[in-house]
Amino acid sequence: MYNDIIIDNFTNPQKVGDIALANCEFEIGNPVCGDRIKIQLMVENNTISEARFRAWGCATSIATANLFCESIEGKTTSDINQKNDQDIESMLGQLEPSQHHCVHILKELHQQLVVQANAGAQ
Amino acid sequence: MDLHKFLQQAGLDPIKVALSSVGQLYKMPEQDLLDFKCSLVFESFKFHYNNNDFYRVSCDKKGITPDILSSSKDLIKIPLIPIELFKANDSYKLLSKSLNTIELEMRSTGTSGIPSVSRRCDETVDNAIFGIYGMYREFLKISKGAGLYLCPSTEEIPEMGMIKALNLLAGLLDTHKFMVKNETFSPEESLEQLENWDNKFDRHIIGPPFLINRFIRFLKATNTKVKLDKSSLVITLGGWKRFSGEMLSRNEFNQECMEYLGVKEGQIRDIYALVESNVVAIDDENGVKHVSPYIHFSVRDPKNLDKEVPEGEIGQLAILDPLSCSTPGFILTEDLVRLLPKTEEDKRNGQRMQYIMRLPESKEFGCCAVNLDKRLDVLEEENQHASACPVVA
Repeated sequence: MYNDIIIDNFTNPQKVGDIALANCEFEIGNPVCGDRIKIQLMVENNTISEARFRAWGCATSIATANLFCESIEGKTTSDINQKNDQDIESMLGQLEPSQHHCVHILKELHQQLVVQANAGAQ
Repeated sequence: MDLHKFLQQAGLDPIKVALSSVGQLYKMPEQDLLDFKCSLVFESFKFHYNNNDFYRVSCDKKGITPDILSSSKDLIKIPLIPIELFKANDSYKLLSKSLNTIELEMRSTGTSGIPSVSRRCDETVDNAIFGIYGMYREFLKISKGAGLYLCPSTEEIPEMGMIKALNLLAGLLDTHKFMVKNETFSPEESLEQLENWDNKFDRHIIGPPFLINRFIRFLKATNTKVKLDKSSLVITLGGWKRFSGEMLSRNEFNQECMEYLGVKEGQIRDIYALVESNVVAIDDENGVKHVSPYIHFSVRDPKNLDKEVPEGEIGQLAILDPLSCSTPGFILTEDLVRLLPKTEEDKRNGQRMQYIMRLPESKEFGCCAVNLDKRLDVLEEENQHASACPVVA
C-alpha cells in the first residue's frame, strides 16, 4: 500500500518540530475531517535556511509534509517556483488512489509557500 | 481446561474462534469467559511487547513484562496508551508492524479538528470486520430491509470510522440511501424515501444521534408522525454532545423516536465504538450495552488510574483489545462509563456498560458527526439569511 518514499518519510521524519523564531509560517487543511499541516520556515536572504512541520492526518500526508520540508531547505523561493506540477507529483512516487489527495496537498504547500514569500517581499 | 491452549494445540487461532463464537462466549460461565479473555489479552500483550520498541520501553520502565501476567488480577498492570497519542505527529511509534503491512487507515475528528488516525494491518482488518459483523448479528439480527442512512456516504468520507462501521450494515440490507450529500441534509427527501419504502421493506434509520435528532426536529415542526415497521430499528453510533456543548438526552431521544417514528423503545439501539479500538458495545432489546465478549473493559479511578472503581461506579474507561495487531490495543480513553451488574432477565454473561460522558477536562469531544452537525447549522442559517426579507444583498 505504501511506497518506500512514504514509509521512509513517515517512520523517520527528520523535519518534524517547531522553529522558535520562524519568520514565515502557514497552515493548510480541511476544517471538517481532513489532514492538517503547519509549516514554519526561517528565510534568510531569500533562501529557506530551515523548514519544520507539524502534521495531523494519514501516514501519506505526514510523509508529504516531511518531504516538502526536506526538499525546500537551502532553496530560494524562485527555485521552488520553477517546479512544475509534474516535478511535484513525482516527488511522492507511485500512490494508490486513496493516497492521491496528498499530491494536491503537496501542490498546495508549494503554492502557499510562494504566496507567503511574495507577501513577505512586499 | 485451558481453552486458549486447547485451541492452539488443535491448530486454530483462538482470536478467530472467539470472533465467530459471540453467542457462545456470552453463554460461558463468567469466570471461564474472563479466563479465556485474559489469555487473549496476554497473548496480544506479548506480541506488542516483543514487536514494538516504543511500547516495550514504556512497559520496561514500569517493570511490566509478559512473564509477570498470569491471572485476571494482572489485567490492571498492562500499560495503557493514552488516546491522544493516536493524534500525535509521531504516531508511527505506535506501530508494532511495518507501515508496509498497513491496509487501512481510519480516522475520527472531534471538535479540535485534529484527526485521530488508527492504522490496521490485514489481520486487524479481518478481526475488526468479523468482530463487528458478529456483534451486529448477535444484537441487531438484520439480514434484510431498507436503511435510511442519515449521514454522508463512505464515498464522500471514506476514512471515517463511524461511517465505515455503519456502512458494514448496508451489506446486510436489500437497499439503502445516504441522505447527507455534499454537507446538506434534506429531511423532506428523507421522509419521502421512507414513504417510498413503506410496505416494501422493513425500514431502518441509521446514523449519528445528532442527525437523527435533526430529522425528528423536522417531523416535530411539521407535526408529522411516521409509523415504522415491527422489525424496524433506529440505530445510532456517535457522540451525544452537540458542537455547542449541549448534551442530547438519551431518554428524550428515545421518547421522540417513539412518538415521531412510531417505534418501541426496544427498537432503538445505540452503539458505543471507538475508531482506535475494535470494540463495539451494542444495546440489547432492553437498552443495555454489551461489550464485545473477547474485549475487556477496565473502569479506572480518574484520580488514580492504577485503581479500578467498583462495578456500578463511574470511572475512566480503559480498553484491553486483543484484536489489534498493528498497534497495541490497550487504550486509555477519555470516556467516563460505568459497568453494570447482570440482571435476572439478562441471558448474556460478560460485561455490560453505560456511557456517561466525555471526561470534563478532555480538550475535545465528538466524532466527525459533531463537525457535520455544526456545518449543517451554519448552512441552514446562511439559507435563512439569504431568503430573509427585506434586506437586499
